[in-house]
Amino acid sequence: MRLVVGEDSMLFREGLVRLLADAGHEVVAAVGDAAAMEERVANLRPDLVIADIRMPPELESDGARAAARIRDTSPEVGILLLSQHIELRDCMDMVGTPGFGYLLKDRVLHLAEFDDALRRVADGGSAIDPEIIRSLVTARQSSALEVLSPREIEVLALVAEGHSNASIARRLFLSERTVMAHMRSVFTKLGLVEDGATHRRVLAVVTFLGAQPDTPPARAPMDPPGCARSSGRMGVPGP
Amino acid sequence: MWTPRGSLSGLFRGIGAVADSAPGFGVGAGTDATVVVPCEHAGVKAAQARALTLGATVAWAIPVGLAGYLAVRGIDGQGWSQFAGFLPELLTPGVCVVAGWLVVRRVPTSPTGPALAWTGGCVSLALALDVFTLTGLYDAAPGERSIAAAAPGLWTLDLLGLLVLLLVFPDGLRHGRVWRMVVPVYAVATLLLVVALWGTRKAGERLEGGPTSGPRAVLLGIGLALVAACLVAAVVSLVLRYRSGDEVLRLRVRWLMLAGAGIVALLAAGWVLAIGFDTSMDLAYGPALIGIVILVPAAVAVAIIRYDLFDVDRLLSQSAAWTITVVTSAVVFGLVVLGVSEVFSRSSGLDLTAAAFVTALVLLPLHRHVSTAVARLVDRDRFVALAEVERFAADVRAGRRAPEEIEAVLRDAHADPGLRLFLAEGAGWVDLSGFTYPDPDGVTLTFAGDAIARIWSTKDSARAHRRLADLSRAAAVPVEVCRLRLGLLAGRARLIEATVAERRRLERDLHDGAQQRLIATGMRLRRLQGGLDAGRSAEVDVAVAELEGTVAELRALAHGVRPSRLDDGLVPALQAMRAATPIPMDLDVGPLPDLDEVQLLSAYLVVTEAVTNSLKHARATHVGVRVADRNGRLCVEVSDNGIGDAPVVTALTALRDRVESVGGTVTISSPSGGGTTVEAML
Repeated sequence: MRLVVGEDSMLFREGLVRLLADAGHEVVAAVGDAAAMEERVANLRPDLVIADIRMPPELESDGARAAARIRDTSPEVGILLLSQHIELRDCMDMVGTPGFGYLLKDRVLHLAEFDDALRRVADGGSAIDPEIIRSLVTARQSSALEVLSPREIEVLALVAEGHSNASIARRLFLSERTVMAHMRSVFTKLGLVEDGATHRRVLAVVTFLGAQPDTPPARAPMDPPGCARSSGRMGVPGP
Repeated sequence: MWTPRGSLSGLFRGIGAVADSAPGFGVGAGTDATVVVPCEHAGVKAAQARALTLGATVAWAIPVGLAGYLAVRGIDGQGWSQFAGFLPELLTPGVCVVAGWLVVRRVPTSPTGPALAWTGGCVSLALALDVFTLTGLYDAAPGERSIAAAAPGLWTLDLLGLLVLLLVFPDGLRHGRVWRMVVPVYAVATLLLVVALWGTRKAGERLEGGPTSGPRAVLLGIGLALVAACLVAAVVSLVLRYRSGDEVLRLRVRWLMLAGAGIVALLAAGWVLAIGFDTSMDLAYGPALIGIVILVPAAVAVAIIRYDLFDVDRLLSQSAAWTITVVTSAVVFGLVVLGVSEVFSRSSGLDLTAAAFVTALVLLPLHRHVSTAVARLVDRDRFVALAEVERFAADVRAGRRAPEEIEAVLRDAHADPGLRLFLAEGAGWVDLSGFTYPDPDGVTLTFAGDAIARIWSTKDSARAHRRLADLSRAAAVPVEVCRLRLGLLAGRARLIEATVAERRRLERDLHDGAQQRLIATGMRLRRLQGGLDAGRSAEVDVAVAELEGTVAELRALAHGVRPSRLDDGLVPALQAMRAATPIPMDLDVGPLPDLDEVQLLSAYLVVTEAVTNSLKHARATHVGVRVADRNGRLCVEVSDNGIGDAPVVTALTALRDRVESVGGTVTISSPSGGGTTVEAML
């Protein structure tokens, strides 16, 4: 895979470049500021750009803004944002869209998972840090998600992180068929339209989670609300 | 003989015409380019004023010139040399003439100039006539008989100028028939007096051959009554003018009043001297007479040309107060002397000693009371305004009113709604809302040698400046208190801002410094791991896990310093908090305005501390957080369903400090068993 790395800390950048090289990737450029990163991406057409959110010149979310511009000009380039902490101000629009990932920086220490996330994003999938999904899920917990069982919420979170059914099954020690059953149930209860393609269901879930609690997204009237309510009451009480 | 009368009637015609064509006169000539001082007159034409003044000058100059010529040439003949001896008396009315010319030059359309000049001219003419008859020189003059016969009745000429001055000062004849009738009536009265006194003769101070009975006595009585009526009318005209006039007119009339008060003071002083030291009455009245001839024209000229030259209100009030004090003291002195010498029936020196003692005792308190009373009467505006500011200062000292009201109080006292107060702050100036201004104009107020404030007013006259300076001195203490309070608040706000900025910097340092290096070290370890056997590789896994734990701790630490989710706004930060809270938490955030960093962090920390308190002490199982905009202030409310009973004074001290340091308020309600509610207004 051909990669461009944008990261202002030289220590972290060099470490990351070596790790990526060890993993068999070709780092075609490694730069320290957002403008240079944009320029290299435009010239070199990599498969994926790994960008620190906070970079010069302003040391605010320059990386995220540069990524949004890259998304506009070169939509085929995968984008993986790295950050020390969760900061969604300038990238919430991209979360859940195909070919986008957002991870905390310490995830690079788990090489296998990090490599998996890189490949998912480069292939047009999604990789959202579990921390972000957890905050989104808990943010909606008391209202919309109370109709779901704890297991369903687990599945929902992994879907949102960008995992495939197979990956979810492996992590939760379930069969893929059970995972699919849970997913159907979740989509029915939340009034979302089930779609075969993985990346579209990620977006649907993330959009649902990211929406403000007071303004639920327009629901497809697949299920009478009363039904969802009753199953919520019959289900396991919320955490 | 009636030349002056003719000129004066010309003057009156001029004034009458203006008064008729412009009812409510008093606003005309202000735009005339030749008018130096802003001054409103129902004017006369400039050329007319000059001609009239020239006439008065001639009327004054002829007898003076004659007397001067006689004095220099030393012509023989008793009458002539006697005439020359009157030169000083004839010269004195020249003060009026000079003052008249001054007024005419500076304010050519004012009727006061010619009137003032004629005040001197008439006195001069009357005096010359008097000297003429006294010295017997009329024998040599043509038509000598009739002049001599008419002269005793013409003494009214002496007062004619003053009468006209009183009628037209400071801005022309008053509107109305009555006032236009005064001078003709005076002329009729003069005619009656001439007829009544025809052929009488002055011998020393007495008239010889005057009428004692018959129709001439009746004529005399009527004439005198008419003269008195005219003089009373002139004074009434001035009083009416003062009562209905604007501020500038009153100021001008006050100058005349000041001259009057000065004359009375001189009279009183002369009287005291005459009684106390037994001097001649000539010496006693001399200063007062000279005062009349000099003070009145000087005051009138100043009133027209530079009415705001000095603080006439204060001068008037003080001179009147001293006059009353001196007269009263003299009366007290005299009464004590009389009383003591009555009791002891001999002159022992005791009477004088006792009188001096009692007078000294009475003098100061008497003067204080008289000053207050006179100031209240004469200088009412300043007195009331000063009293208002002083009362406010006393209220501030007693803690009844907030010093920040001072600007409103000054506006009220100075009767200027546009007045602005600027407080010295560092090198610049700030108003009471804290806006800065580099260098505003205005009256500078100093306190203990430092400039603490500038007061700017839309009133720009020298008098208004003096008045404002007086008011500001009375307001010095409230102004300084204001300034210090404002400075304290600003200082506290700066401190809070610095603290908040420091927290932000610290959070960044943790994220971008320590955390970053630890992860980089972890990455090195991972690379080394590739070449190791299974046992050593497991060791590296443990080391990396340690590093990850440390990074997580640092992240939590940075979060405690300043949650980075605040970059996304208050709501995401609170939602993240809810995710981390072990008990259910309801979050209700209304529409909010844009919050600055201080508000953001303060609101967040209030919620954190209140929720932490609920978890630690209240044994709560549910907590509700509400954030709303309430009339421009941020209202943060945290309530739980715990045991309540929080010690209201000591509970949440840190929280209270935090909120109050940014100028907010905290209300804590914690009934026993009824849960705890913390409400912070930011």
